[in-house]
Amino acid sequence: MAAIFKRETKAYYTGMIGYVTAAVSLFFLGLYFANRNLMYASSDFAMVLYTTTMILLFLLPAISMRSFAEERRNKTDQLLLTSPVSIPGIVLGKFLAECVVFAAPTVVALIMPLLLTAFGNVSLVSAYSALFVYWLLGAACLAVGTWVSAMTENQILAYLATFGALLVSYLMDGIKTMFTSGNLLAFLVFAVVLLIASVLVGVLCKSLATGLTVFCAGGAALIALFLLRPAWLLTAFDSVLSALALFTPFNGVVGGMFSLSAVVYYLSVIALFLFLTGQAIERRRWH
Amino acid sequence: MIEVEHLTKRYGGHVAVDDISFTVQDGCIYGLLGPNGAGKSTTMNIITGYLSATAGTVKVDGHDIAAEPMQAKACIGYLPEQPPLYQDMTVQEYLLFVAELKGERKKADRAASVEQAAARAGLQGMERRLIRNLSKGYRQRVGIAAALLGAPKVIILDEPTVGLDPAQMIEIRALIHDLGKTHTVILSSHILSEVQAICDRVLIIAHGKLIAQGTPEELAGRLAAKGTISATAQGSRGAVLAAAAAVPGLSDLRVTAEKGGEVSFTAVSEAGTDLRGALSLALAQAGCPVLTLSAETMSLEDVFLQLTETPAADPAPQADAAEADASAPDAQNAALAAEGAAPAQEPAAEPPAAEETAAEETVTAETTPAETAPAAEPPAAEADGPAQQDTPATPEPTQEKGEAPHGSDL
Repeated sequence: MAAIFKRETKAYYTGMIGYVTAAVSLFFLGLYFANRNLMYASSDFAMVLYTTTMILLFLLPAISMRSFAEERRNKTDQLLLTSPVSIPGIVLGKFLAECVVFAAPTVVALIMPLLLTAFGNVSLVSAYSALFVYWLLGAACLAVGTWVSAMTENQILAYLATFGALLVSYLMDGIKTMFTSGNLLAFLVFAVVLLIASVLVGVLCKSLATGLTVFCAGGAALIALFLLRPAWLLTAFDSVLSALALFTPFNGVVGGMFSLSAVVYYLSVIALFLFLTGQAIERRRWH
Repeated sequence: MIEVEHLTKRYGGHVAVDDISFTVQDGCIYGLLGPNGAGKSTTMNIITGYLSATAGTVKVDGHDIAAEPMQAKACIGYLPEQPPLYQDMTVQEYLLFVAELKGERKKADRAASVEQAAARAGLQGMERRLIRNLSKGYRQRVGIAAALLGAPKVIILDEPTVGLDPAQMIEIRALIHDLGKTHTVILSSHILSEVQAICDRVLIIAHGKLIAQGTPEELAGRLAAKGTISATAQGSRGAVLAAAAAVPGLSDLRVTAEKGGEVSFTAVSEAGTDLRGALSLALAQAGCPVLTLSAETMSLEDVFLQLTETPAADPAPQADAAEADASAPDAQNAALAAEGAAPAQEPAAEPPAAEETAAEETVTAETTPAETAPAAEPPAAEADGPAQQDTPATPEPTQEKGEAPHGSDL
């Protein structure tokens, strides 16, 4: 794992990606820091971070896109997968390298709140906790991107798919409001999700009966819920959508409420997607 | 050292490896031989743990690759078909990375073992070069050096000489031969002379099945009793073939050339009997005077071609024999005749190296000027010796042929 981590980190800075992402990231952080904090004399550094989350949508897929797609294209994954290294070790090594590349501009940003203290009273705790959660948010996005990268050998495809997924997640607060109009809609959406899941299960198990069983059992449960406790469906649907809104917990922290739940949320997202990445690599050995 | 039992790999409906079992003993060089697409790479990828088997088990030094992948992988050094090199690293950086990947924790140890492996693979003086800028031969050497790191007991090399020029090929073969003194080596190849020259034991794979194994001598000996008879007789194609087919013990008739009432053909005689007399008599009785008649024993190359050949893969000879009155052979037929003619007339000089070479020769003959097609004899003449000289038009076959003599040098 250590070997992969070191090689990956170095590779980011042998090429352009490490420098370009740092430059773009620092440019926008610096721009909004100068504008919001210095020109308008605001002490709220978290607000700067909040404004620049949009940049992460473009920036982070560029870091994560190459992680596994490039290995697969160059067939260097054959070296990693035939060496005595576990798959979790490979995934973790690569992910940590991505986190370091994203951390580099974040570390430079540590200076910004300190600069503000020269002008007056600044809550360093809230500024730095926001910066920490900002980095965690980025790490969660990178985990999503790593997973996407493990499923393709085309880096551009990996970039676009990650960007799309992050964009949907970014807009999820707005999307969510479209789906609060009724229980029937929630029911229909769940039914479609169930259908897709059943087809997937059927294809994976190569058995029509299994797929049908899953669909019928799930359908029965869904109908029962819809008839007996329709409000539960809506609540469940709402909370599923909320869980997909990757940027919302950070927005809460920006508002000055550092919550442990935000940290736990991002760590869970990271763990989930790294697990999925390992599964995607493992699955590829079978096809 | 390696036990492979009932190994099967399916991709959807396609069976890439079909129930292969074999055991690899310590201290030998094994050659996995087969035409392209036979399942050699898939087999190696499963042994090294890159792919999972659909069914069957692989044990490396007693460790099951599925159950104890870490221990099993630690015993193997693998060079895949395309060396897994990071283009943006120098040779030294890459080898140090691989050494660390294979579990050498101490920096001093890594440096020492990298130096040793680089020297073994003949990379002295190349350590600071970027892999991106290396020639194919040196990349292959870097791959071999990487496979040597981590002190593996088995070295697995997938087509280590493909795409190299003849000089590099000889060097790499010498290197593999040298590795065989200290390691168990498994290499795959579709070039027979190579396997014959380097390997102690040969496993022949075709269409995913293991069809023969043994020492090169054993394999050649197994079918040495079978002889090939080549003959030329006067008469119509139909009459000559009918008379020859009637001789008991003769099989696999192939027309190699046909011109002006003379038919040349080859046939395989079974059970170690000399059927020249019977064939001559049969042809004479059919009213077809025998012009030439000679017998040859089969080389390993012929054994390989015969074993790996199936009706689906090579329907041409049968169609050729069935087509009794082919009055004016078209370009395709002429090409096939030309292809067969080469080994018949100059068997020792340049037998077709593998199916691939045969296909390329066909292409060579097809691309001859259009006016040669009606006559049907110029292509045959061209495919003999002079074919090697038409370098500008067909560089590839020339290269393929060029390697055969080098292989036997070793």
